[in-house]
Amino acid sequence: MTSSDIALKFDLRKCVQCGKCTASCPTGRESNLRTRALVFRANSSDVSTERELWLCTTCYTCQERCPKGVKITDAIIELRNLAAEKGNYPSIHLTAIKGLRDTSDGFPITPEVSKIRSLLGLSIEPFDVAHSDEEREKFRKLFQSLRIIAFLEERK
Amino acid sequence: MTYAVFPGCIARNLYPSIEKSTQLVFKELNVPLTEVRFTCCPAPGVIRSYDVDSWLAISARNLAAAEEKDADLLVICNGCYGTLSSARRRLLDDADARERTNQKLAAISMRFHGRANVEHFADVLHARLPEIRQKVKVELELKVAIHYGCHYLKPSEHSGRNVESPSVLEDLVSALGCESVDFPEKLSCCGAGGGVWSGSEELSLKVLDRKMRFIKESGADCILDVCPFCHLQLDQGQKRLRTRYEVPVLHLNQLIGLAFGQKDKVLGIHTHMVSTREIARKAKKARRDLADED
Repeated sequence: MTSSDIALKFDLRKCVQCGKCTASCPTGRESNLRTRALVFRANSSDVSTERELWLCTTCYTCQERCPKGVKITDAIIELRNLAAEKGNYPSIHLTAIKGLRDTSDGFPITPEVSKIRSLLGLSIEPFDVAHSDEEREKFRKLFQSLRIIAFLEERK
Repeated sequence: MTYAVFPGCIARNLYPSIEKSTQLVFKELNVPLTEVRFTCCPAPGVIRSYDVDSWLAISARNLAAAEEKDADLLVICNGCYGTLSSARRRLLDDADARERTNQKLAAISMRFHGRANVEHFADVLHARLPEIRQKVKVELELKVAIHYGCHYLKPSEHSGRNVESPSVLEDLVSALGCESVDFPEKLSCCGAGGGVWSGSEELSLKVLDRKMRFIKESGADCILDVCPFCHLQLDQGQKRLRTRYEVPVLHLNQLIGLAFGQKDKVLGIHTHMVSTREIARKAKKARRDLADED
């Protein structure tokens, strides 16, 4: 899938450049992200090298308000897939991907929080994949078969 | 069908007080809950941004795990809800994606059929408004700044909701004897989603700062959220801002717990970063007033 395939898939050509998206964007007003201009460029060039793709919080306000029904947020997410493939991503995210592979959780538990769990009478070994050797092994097997694993292997 | 709570990583591993409050509130409402071994939903901001198909497969594993136990998912986090409801929709609507995903799940002897529903806990509570009204023991009379967060409401094609003027949380706040205060950009993002929280911290905090300024000016006693990730941003993030706003943050289940007469230390709201002491004091006073009347 190329940048122009994604522009076609999400009908970015329906955009009439009204600018409601830019006006509605919570991070755009604090950064260089200009959603209207991004959609414009995506219609004629490869935008997957642009860092601004990663400044979207995926709040979906632009997509909801678009008078032409362009699925802007969904398109940004797929453009990020392409950007990531090309090495354009904030490397700190790899910590989260690695954590997910190793623990099955996005946020690992810390000893301090374990203490709070006991204080509140909650199990410190809750019923989840992270606390079952068998299920964790199955999850690891699934994870190894997914494309996302490539981000961890390349960086070794 | 029974509900399996989908706690999500943040309630479980960072804010266990939210998990505890959830257990207490649903017990009080006689809604039986069961447990299923889940993983991270996985996070829509980071994981989906790297590979949509991988995100879909991990999500399908969670949905299939609930199916195996004949349970529906009761989701207490907007991020998890966004992932699980969107992934479920995609898997049901797109036969190719479903086939691809099920091939991956087959290697671990699992299969997605689409039998388990994904429900946001706020909707489950809203369907029980009369019962909630009856169970309210203490009149908290707090001024509450409601923060819906993004992925409970949007995208509307999956949630089917009125995204510009929702009323579910206003109804619940009023049922609890509290008042919802209005403020500019009430429905705007907390700044944490989409991988921005970890990827662009400074930007994330700028968005939060603007939100907090409006909330502070509204005179609210507390912020109410329905998402542990927004909660993390609003509570821990608030402490990272230069301005000391000091507005306490409560997850909906924590506010309901207080209104049902639970003590702050039982609910665990004293473990938050922004002090909830003032809220606890008001709740205690309301409990005492009640005891005096009896």
